[in-house]
Amino acid sequence: MSSMVARAFAPAPRRIEEAKAAGLRLVRPVRSRARKAPFVVVVLTVLAIGLVGLIIMSTVLQAQSFEAAKLDRQAAALETEQQSIAREVDRLQSPANVASKAIAIGMVPNANPAFLRLSDGRVLGEPEPAEPGSNIRSVTR
Amino acid sequence: MTKRQILTRRRLRACTVMVFVIFGLFGARLFQIQGLDASAYAAASVKAGTATKADPAPRGAILDRNGEQLATSVDGLTITADPSMTAANAPQIARILRQELGDSVDYFDTIDRLRTPDSRFVYLVRDVPKWTADKAIAALAKAELTGVFSEKENLRSYPGGKLAANLLGYTNGAGKGVAGLEQEYNTILTGKDGSSTYEVSPTGQRIPMADSTVTKMVPGQDVKTTIDRDLQWYADQRLADAVRDSSSDWGLAITMDVKTCQIVQMSQAPTFDADTRTGMDDANTVSRAVQNVYEPGSVMKTITMAALADQGKIEADTPIVVPSSLTIDKFRIGDYWEHGTLHLTAAGVIALSSNLGTIVASEQMSDQTMYDYFRKFGFGQESGVNLPGESKGILTNGQDWTKANHATIAFGQGVSVTAMQMMRAVGAIANAGKMCEPTVVSGTVDQDGNETPVESAAGHRVVSKDAAATVTRMMEAVTADDGTAPAAAIKGYRVAGKTGTAWRVDPTTGRYIRGQNTVSFMGFAPADNPRFLTYIVLDKPYSSAGGGSTAAPVFHDVMSMALERFGVAPSGSESPKVNQTW
Repeated sequence: MSSMVARAFAPAPRRIEEAKAAGLRLVRPVRSRARKAPFVVVVLTVLAIGLVGLIIMSTVLQAQSFEAAKLDRQAAALETEQQSIAREVDRLQSPANVASKAIAIGMVPNANPAFLRLSDGRVLGEPEPAEPGSNIRSVTR
Repeated sequence: MTKRQILTRRRLRACTVMVFVIFGLFGARLFQIQGLDASAYAAASVKAGTATKADPAPRGAILDRNGEQLATSVDGLTITADPSMTAANAPQIARILRQELGDSVDYFDTIDRLRTPDSRFVYLVRDVPKWTADKAIAALAKAELTGVFSEKENLRSYPGGKLAANLLGYTNGAGKGVAGLEQEYNTILTGKDGSSTYEVSPTGQRIPMADSTVTKMVPGQDVKTTIDRDLQWYADQRLADAVRDSSSDWGLAITMDVKTCQIVQMSQAPTFDADTRTGMDDANTVSRAVQNVYEPGSVMKTITMAALADQGKIEADTPIVVPSSLTIDKFRIGDYWEHGTLHLTAAGVIALSSNLGTIVASEQMSDQTMYDYFRKFGFGQESGVNLPGESKGILTNGQDWTKANHATIAFGQGVSVTAMQMMRAVGAIANAGKMCEPTVVSGTVDQDGNETPVESAAGHRVVSKDAAATVTRMMEAVTADDGTAPAAAIKGYRVAGKTGTAWRVDPTTGRYIRGQNTVSFMGFAPADNPRFLTYIVLDKPYSSAGGGSTAAPVFHDVMSMALERFGVAPSGSESPKVNQTW
């Protein structure tokens, strides 16, 4: 053990002879024999996956942006339609429209308020028949 | 050094020089772009590569008390054309537009516009709802007619047409409220426009995942009114009939809940239609309830009596000696009927609407006292209803009153008021002496449906409860069979009211015009527990019309409908009998 330590810390041999004496000899430089093929394949695969991925992603995004634009237009068209229908409903249920239909079938606005109290069946107020031609006769728009 | 080494070194040097020169050029250019006019280039690049899309905030709706829409916003289009492209096909284009858009398109006028010489832009039809405009544009595209374009607009729609038009007001071409509630609540109704800016490709396609900035759009809030849509319609219709039948210049009908001072209907005739934009001249669009001053006439006697009753100077049965006529400051004042000396009670003075009786009674108080009471009742001041362009009316200072002023103001001449002021003042009598400010808006509703109530000032007492009860009893005599307005009585209910037939003032000369009157009826019911106050005013009807004969029947119908719609049942109690004479 102590001899090995002594050898290890001995000064480097100055001459070939000394080296030889120390048991060292020249060897051929080690040539790397690592194979290139797997590395190239890995790099190319990563590149290919990346490229294909990019293409797919941008295609999907583009397609989705077209889809979004289409849906936007569709939403706008539906909103327009909804507005037109809502307006028609508003028009149909406006008091003027309901009243003119009611008057057309012979109904008369009642200008004599009277109430029936359900709890005891009493009539509050003095009910009177609503005569045709009393108060509103026609609907002006 | 070998020759070969020298050559290599030269080549290296040459290459180094070239590299430095090239990078130097790049550096110089970089410095020019980044250092010298960086902002200009940046702006140009942003301009070329971004697109901005506006996101206009829809204007809030105006709702009635039950949430029904009185005014709402819809998408609209304005159709424009490039005459240089349309001149050749003008008749075909005009025909299609006429077919699709109907009466809003004038065929010959449209042809002229489509052929406008030396022009590249004309308006064809403005403010068309988007759904009809879309159809017209599609029809033109189908017929392969080019040169017609459209621009997006925010269109204001009033589903009720003329319904409450003067209260709602209208918007101008830019969508800003310029009258009525549209003006008063413009900032609340108008939202905040949003926009989105994003990067686009040279062909205009949006670049996914690229930077974009979005300014959020905040839609306008809804304004909820205190109006009842159906009652409003009924009053509009009934008043329009009355104005026509009596050949009046104009008419007003207002109904207020006296407990809350909420206006439940406010009609005016003639009026306009903001939906179709018809009849929009000044005489129709003015909101007469707050902007028009007139002399109220005898309805004012209720205020005079309330002032006297509050001072304990009068009761319903207080005897008053009414002379056949009075001459004050060389001005002869009579009643509308000829009579000798009468012995009327205070209730009789109101029931028969005696000017002379009111003057005699009012002489118990000084000019200043009477003026102070009139001020307390809100005359000469805004009514606090929060509507644009409100007039304060004219009540001259009590210190400057002549004897004639005192006499005539007591029965409502020589004092100018708005209908809203009258509502507030008589509303105080109906509300047991407490006066509040009329309101037309109960709150605002945001986009999530959260309602924020509008603050209203608390009511304050102007006369005592007893004084209000005394005047109510006098006013009940008006609708009795022997009063001036039995037509205002509603069967089963106790109705308190007062007629008014006031001389009209010629605005140009400032003098009264013989034979021209403003007739009115103000009343509330049920008199034993008042809920609604209704005021009818008809200006310049045919000359023989009076408050009792012309305005009272309108009051009867509108008030009946209000009581019925709000389920106000009569108590069944009888009106106390008060003698008119002694």
